[in-house]
Parts: sequence; C-alpha cells; structure tokens
Amino acid sequence: MLDIKNLHASVDGKEILKGLNLSINPGEMHAIMGRNGSGKSTLANVITGREDYNVTKGDILFAGDSVLEWSPEARSLAGIFMSFQYPVVIPGVNNTYFLKAALNAKRKHAGEKGLDAAGFLKLIKEKLNEVSMDPKYLQRAVNDGFSGGEKKRNEILQMLTLEPTLAILDETDSGLDIDALKIVADGVNRYRNADRLFLVITHYQRLLKYIEPDFVHVLIDGQIVKSGGKELALELEEKGYNWLES
Amino acid sequence: MNISDFNIEFDKMINRDYFSDKVHPMREKAFSKFLEIGLPTKKWEDWRFTNLSSISNSSFRISEKQDAPNGDVDISQYQIDDVETIVIYNGHYLEALSSISSGIQLLSGLDYLEKTNWEFKSPERSPFDLLNTAFMDSGMSIVVDQNVIVERPIRMLFISSGLESLMVTPRIHIDLGESSSATFIEDHRGDSNSFFQNGSTFVTLKQNAQLDHIRIQSNSVTTANIVNIQVEQNADSQYTFFQFADGSQLGRLNIYNELKGEGANSDINGLTLSNDSQHLDNHIITDHQVPHCSSSQNFKTVLQDHSSGVFNGRTIVRKDAQKTDSSQSNKNLLLSKSALMNSNPQLEIYADDVKCAHGSSTGTLDKNALFYLRSRGLDVLSAKALLVRGFATELLDLV
Repeated sequence: MLDIKNLHASVDGKEILKGLNLSINPGEMHAIMGRNGSGKSTLANVITGREDYNVTKGDILFAGDSVLEWSPEARSLAGIFMSFQYPVVIPGVNNTYFLKAALNAKRKHAGEKGLDAAGFLKLIKEKLNEVSMDPKYLQRAVNDGFSGGEKKRNEILQMLTLEPTLAILDETDSGLDIDALKIVADGVNRYRNADRLFLVITHYQRLLKYIEPDFVHVLIDGQIVKSGGKELALELEEKGYNWLES
Repeated sequence: MNISDFNIEFDKMINRDYFSDKVHPMREKAFSKFLEIGLPTKKWEDWRFTNLSSISNSSFRISEKQDAPNGDVDISQYQIDDVETIVIYNGHYLEALSSISSGIQLLSGLDYLEKTNWEFKSPERSPFDLLNTAFMDSGMSIVVDQNVIVERPIRMLFISSGLESLMVTPRIHIDLGESSSATFIEDHRGDSNSFFQNGSTFVTLKQNAQLDHIRIQSNSVTTANIVNIQVEQNADSQYTFFQFADGSQLGRLNIYNELKGEGANSDINGLTLSNDSQHLDNHIITDHQVPHCSSSQNFKTVLQDHSSGVFNGRTIVRKDAQKTDSSQSNKNLLLSKSALMNSNPQLEIYADDVKCAHGSSTGTLDKNALFYLRSRGLDVLSAKALLVRGFATELLDLV
C-alpha cells in the first residue's frame, strides 16, 4: 500500500536520501532505525510533504497513487499521518479548536457532516481516555506549556482522532519517561489493525519492546542497508551500527 | 491642511456665537504656538515614521451645526449590548439617542471647566495637543464621585459620516474619585470618506480608583485619527487600556501615562490590524515618578499588503521610582513582503533597584506551525487564518 521506490531527496541542496526502497502492506508495523543524520526524519518529512525537502528522483506511491505532487493537507486527507519528533507549539490556538477543525476537514473530505461542539466533545473525551490525558489540555493552546511527554501524547491523541491509514511515528519515544512511553505504546497498539500501516522511526530499541514491529530496517547514509524481523533490533542494540557499514 | 486653511478655520471657531468666549484666550494662545511650530515633519524624532500627508495634503473644515443629522439617525448597526451609549455624530452630541450609566455625571466641556474651577489643561507634547486646545469642539466629560462603582460600561460612540471633509476635535475628561471604578469605551465608527479627528482624552484617577479604558478604532479606512491620551494616576490606582484598531488611513495613538502615587498600576495593550496602505502608529510613554508602581505595555500588530505601523514604547523610571516593576512587549506579524513595521521599545531608567523587561519581535508566519496544521488536513488558507487568530487571541486573553 505504501511503496517507496528508489527515493532520492535533498535538503538545501544536500542529498540525504540516496535511493531508498521500502514497501509496507496493510496490517504491517515497520521500524526504521539508524543513527542521527542517517535520513530517518527526512524520510518521514518527505512522505508527509514538507516543502523544504526536494525529491530529486524516485517515487512514493500510496494506494497506487504517486503523492509527490500532493500538498501536505492532501496527503493528510488521504490518510497519511505523522507524529512529529518535535510537536510545534502554537500560542493562542486552542487545542480543542484545532482538533475539531482538523477532524471536520477530514470528515468533509470524506463526504460526512462536520461534528458540532457537543458531538466533538463526546468523541474527544473517549480519545483522551485512551492516552490518559487530562481534559484540561483541551483548553490550552496547542502544545503550549506541555511537557515532552504531554506533547507526544497529544500527537497520539491526534492520530486516534483523525484515524489515518498510515501512521508515521517519528522518534515518538524521545523525551518520554517509562510511564508515558507505555501509555503512548498502548495507544498505538490498540490502534493497530489489519487495514492500517505503521512506520516507526527510532534511535533506540527501547520503544520496540512496547511496540513490536513486524520488520526492522537499518538506514545508513540515506539507504536501507539491512532488513529483518524484530530480532534485528536486538542485534543492533547489542552490536551497534558499525558492523553494517561498508 | 496648510497654514492658511488652519487660519480660516480658526477664525470661524473664534467667531462662533454659540461657543463661550471665556476659552478664547486659551484657544488663541495654543493656536499661535501651533503657527510657530507647524505640523510635525519626518525630521522630528517622534514622527520619523509617520506619514502625515493625509492631513497635510487635504483640506478640512470644522463641523457646523448642519453637519449633525436632520432628525433621527439610525445607529442600530452600532448597537452593543449591556452598555450605556453616549452618541456623538460628526462632533455633535445627540442627547436623544444617548443614555447615561447611573453613578456618573456627564458634563459638557464648559460645565466641566466650571466644575473644576477652570483648571485648564493645555499640554504641549506635540502640535496636535495645541491643535486640540485651539479647536476643541466636542466630546463630553465624565465625573465619578468617590466610592462609586459604576456597574454599566460607559460607551462614547463617535460616528463620522458623510461626504464632507470634516475636522472634529473632541476633548474628553474622565475623572474618577477615590476608590471609584468604571469602564469607559470609546467607539469610533462611521462611513465618512474624509475626516480628520484630533481627540484628546484626560484621565485622572484618584487614590485607589480603577478605570478600564477600551478604545475601538473601526471607522473608515480613509480617515485620519490622531489620539492624545494623558493619564494621571494617584496612589493604588489601576488603569487598564486596550485599543483595537483596524480603521483609518492614518492612525496615531499617543499615550502619556504618569504614575504619581505609590502602588499605582497600569496595563496598556493594543491590537492593530492593517491592510492596503493604512498606517497605524502607537506611541506610549509610561512615566514612573514614585516607588512601588508597576506597568506593562503589550502591543501586537498584524500587517497586510503595503500597510505600515509603528510601536514606540517608552518606559521612564525616575530617580525616586525604586522598586518599579515594568514590562514592554511588542510582537508583529508581517503577512506580506511589502508591509513595514517599526518597533522601538525603550527604557529610560534613573533608579537602581528596579525590574524592567522589554522585548520585541517581528516576523512572518511560522513555517513549522503552518506545516504542522497542514499535515493535519487544514488547507493553507484555514491554517494561516488559524495562526493569525492565535497570534491575536493571545493578547485578547490578557484583557
């Protein structure tokens, strides 16, 4: 369902992804591991359509369609979601207002009616429960004054609310203590089903104890150099990345 | 308005039979001083970024009795709930359409002078102060006695309307007695396509008095509005000012706020939205003269097209004003490449045991925030609108 073919991408004229191939089928959870600077976050940002990233070669197909020319919002409406490594603080924009606007954009795109305030509140309260978030966060500005863990939970809350087909979790474990990590992982695990695709990007094996991948890929210098099952993550934890470098 | 235009209008002013000749000497003195100085030019430090051509290149005449509406005027479009409204139309008080909050005394300019034993205020901070004294022709004064809590907000609705190029010069006094409190709303509206208003407002807060002063400048984008506000605060008084400005071609707000009694506090805030070729200017001086006062200045501007703006905030902390606690903040959002903002927060500190903060930032919409919102399915326009709204809301939440 997600097919990345020979993807080359650059930022500020510097090539970061150098011929990356990856296919994810519905129901699968893939993890990409690699050092800082290997291109992990670039991959996530290119899939979601951040404008500073230039695809110079190759293609990204989602459900058979090339998304390269699509705007970030078009990709989102088609069901692509990224939990940000650094969720953006937006002072003055109320979290409820933002979530409701996003959900209703999605519903309208799907030809459904937008939810009114009461309908939305009912829905969001259930979702809040799933990530053990206090409803008071709804009244705050988006991510404003949130701790690292609260920001990441807010990302997962958005995922649960918008119900994407493809969820990319970019370093979702960074900045989380073990309790928050479990909450986030539980939220993700409950969201897994046979129709959904996941791409988990992480530095460390730690997250993968809680979110078990079907496949693990090692990214070095813009290319996937090794793929395997979840045991590959343990091997990396033990041996590091040096043995994979040419 | 060139000098001969001003001369012609001033002669009409002085020869009006329905104005008291008791104020003529003050008018004449101020006008002759104005003639010596003239209108500010860009060479003046405080007026460097202010383009006064919409005043200097046009001709205005003073408002006459016939510029008041014949019969009733429909003000329903300006209706606000839960306030008492005093209506001033092209410089004329419309008593029949006005209602007065209980607990206040509403006085004409002349009655106010009688009541205050002709303690006439004649500031000279700028030529517009002098012009206001020379041409004052409208506005009302409000006096609240000590210990009176005025529950209903008092709104002065200024409507500028019609095709004539009018010059209107309101002068307002707001005097709050000891431990009294009130909310005063100046609401400037109207569809006039050429209008020059040079208004002065004098606020005096006695000990422990509290005034919320809200100013809405939403009159037509072809008008010129010069505003001169002086606020004098005694001990433990509290002054909160909030201006929302999106009207007028040229708008300039000058506030001079004196903190003269210990424990006084003032918070001066403004939100300005400009587009096309509007120029909206805010010049705020907070003058800490005694110890233990606190103040804040907090201004935000959203600029579109080739509009321009100024924030010039000055906080003066005099030698005796120890333990002053003050802050200044100015944040501006430029939504177009040709918009221009001049931001100049200044501190002038002569005391050594004080806490003073200031900051200023001017920028475009945050690219990361825009991507974040779009990645959640919001289209570019909605995402931008949400960010602008958020920028403004942050300030509105303070009020």
